[in-house]
Amino acid sequence: MVELERRGVPTVIFTAEAFVADARRTAASLGLPGLPLAVVPAPFTNQPPAAIHAMVEAAFDQVLAGLTRPVEEPPPTAPAPADERLVYEGEDALAAWEAMTRDFLARGWSDGLPLVPPTPRAVEAMLRGTRRAPDEQVAVLEPGFGIATVEKLAANAVMAGCRPEHLPLLITAVRCLAEPKMYLRNKAMSTGPHAPLVIVNGPRARTAGLNAGLCALGPGAPSAANTALGRAVRLTMMNVGHTYPGVSDMDTIGSPLKYSLCCAENEAASPWEPYHVSRGFPADASAVTVHFVYGICELYDFQSTTPERLVQVFATAATNVAQVSTGLWLIGRRADPRYRTEEKEHNTLFLCPEHARVFAAAGWDRARLQEALYRAARVPFRILGLNKEPKAMAVAHPELAWLADHPDLPLPVVEAPSCFDIAVVGGAAGRGAYFYGAGEPVTLAVDE
Amino acid sequence: MTRLEIVNPVARTLEFSVKPAPRLADWRGVTVGLYWNMKAGGDAALDRVEALLAARVPGLRFRRYTGSVGWLMRHCTPEDADRIAAEVQAVVGTTND
Repeated sequence: MVELERRGVPTVIFTAEAFVADARRTAASLGLPGLPLAVVPAPFTNQPPAAIHAMVEAAFDQVLAGLTRPVEEPPPTAPAPADERLVYEGEDALAAWEAMTRDFLARGWSDGLPLVPPTPRAVEAMLRGTRRAPDEQVAVLEPGFGIATVEKLAANAVMAGCRPEHLPLLITAVRCLAEPKMYLRNKAMSTGPHAPLVIVNGPRARTAGLNAGLCALGPGAPSAANTALGRAVRLTMMNVGHTYPGVSDMDTIGSPLKYSLCCAENEAASPWEPYHVSRGFPADASAVTVHFVYGICELYDFQSTTPERLVQVFATAATNVAQVSTGLWLIGRRADPRYRTEEKEHNTLFLCPEHARVFAAAGWDRARLQEALYRAARVPFRILGLNKEPKAMAVAHPELAWLADHPDLPLPVVEAPSCFDIAVVGGAAGRGAYFYGAGEPVTLAVDE
Repeated sequence: MTRLEIVNPVARTLEFSVKPAPRLADWRGVTVGLYWNMKAGGDAALDRVEALLAARVPGLRFRRYTGSVGWLMRHCTPEDADRIAAEVQAVVGTTND
């Protein structure tokens, strides 16, 4: 709507009460804080037409006013302190730290867990992890268009508990977040639980102390580096990208995966080429992949000794229609309209080494597993369509209108076999993980 | 007293400014665009908006739009925005939650 206002067209948009602050903040970040809203008590979703019509009738005066009355600028929200140094005081060091903690929670700058104070000395030490200058701009992060300088990333890395050797990995993850194809604005602000899954490959994963084996996704001491790096990505999304829960992150329920979700691939236990090689990077390169995911499902199987049977089990996870990404291709592709990027919906599998060996022993490579999953993970059209807007499907795929006459036809849950991303992770048991993904992963080489 | 000095972790932001469009002075000859991003229920809301506006301003014309890209939400590309701006004089949207 801001783009239409820019083109001289007056607009008004409906917004549910719970989303007014979000709408105002979004409009402000796009340059028009007074964008007219017609506020209704609840979202239109999951409402019968009669209830929607009643809400529209009650808000109709706001529609008229929005199109005819001068746009009023709302009072400015309290700006973040511009000072580059902040000072907290207390009777002793603990009291000063508690004052910082309280202030950070009040301002929304904390993930809710205790933070390491980013003192100038700690940030300076963190900066020794990269050759980049502190004031170098790595990226601009949406939704707030925050300028990600190396120093800001270092400060958030300190807060998360990172060590200097983690900073280049955080910088690379942030570059992944800023890729137009990532469409971070959507994933950061959504009502869905989009959590950035960070996978590190190559020698930098080992020197950074990242765990790829037992308990790779934590918690605990074996995964301390994983936890800190994943947490730094979250804090960066908040304090650099200005993705603040309840303000610009409108996640309906939230997710513990959003605190931290990071590990290395267990390349030593994989029978296949490393994951980053499958994505076009040299084997000796270090790479970071970020894939936003909604949720996680265990891939448990202690029984199967053949690839075919394991694929059958895995396919039951992939055919969960209650998960938004399942069959989403039916109604189009996730797309950032500014860049006309289009993403296929991908899902990431963490194959445990035991299961990976079953496939390898039978001569299966990653591509064969992807193909088998694509063929096995199918759902009847009438079930896949239960939670999808029919009119959106008609727009996205008018050529598939004939499916209405074949409701029981099984359809693939993703667009292509390559939409299953497969990395080998974990310890010694037949228990992997299936991540329901949001869009495509982005992988970049680590640049010191 | 103990003093704890820290580096501010919050990034500065790029700032943008868009001048709001002139509002409608009267409704004569106006075509209203009804933009739906295809989130469930938004079409029903726009149906009611159209009926209410038509009852209030006889002769008002309407055009329906959705974005040319997207999935759960269909978004307006710059080209879509150019086309809409050329075809209508006001827009009511259901693009939010």
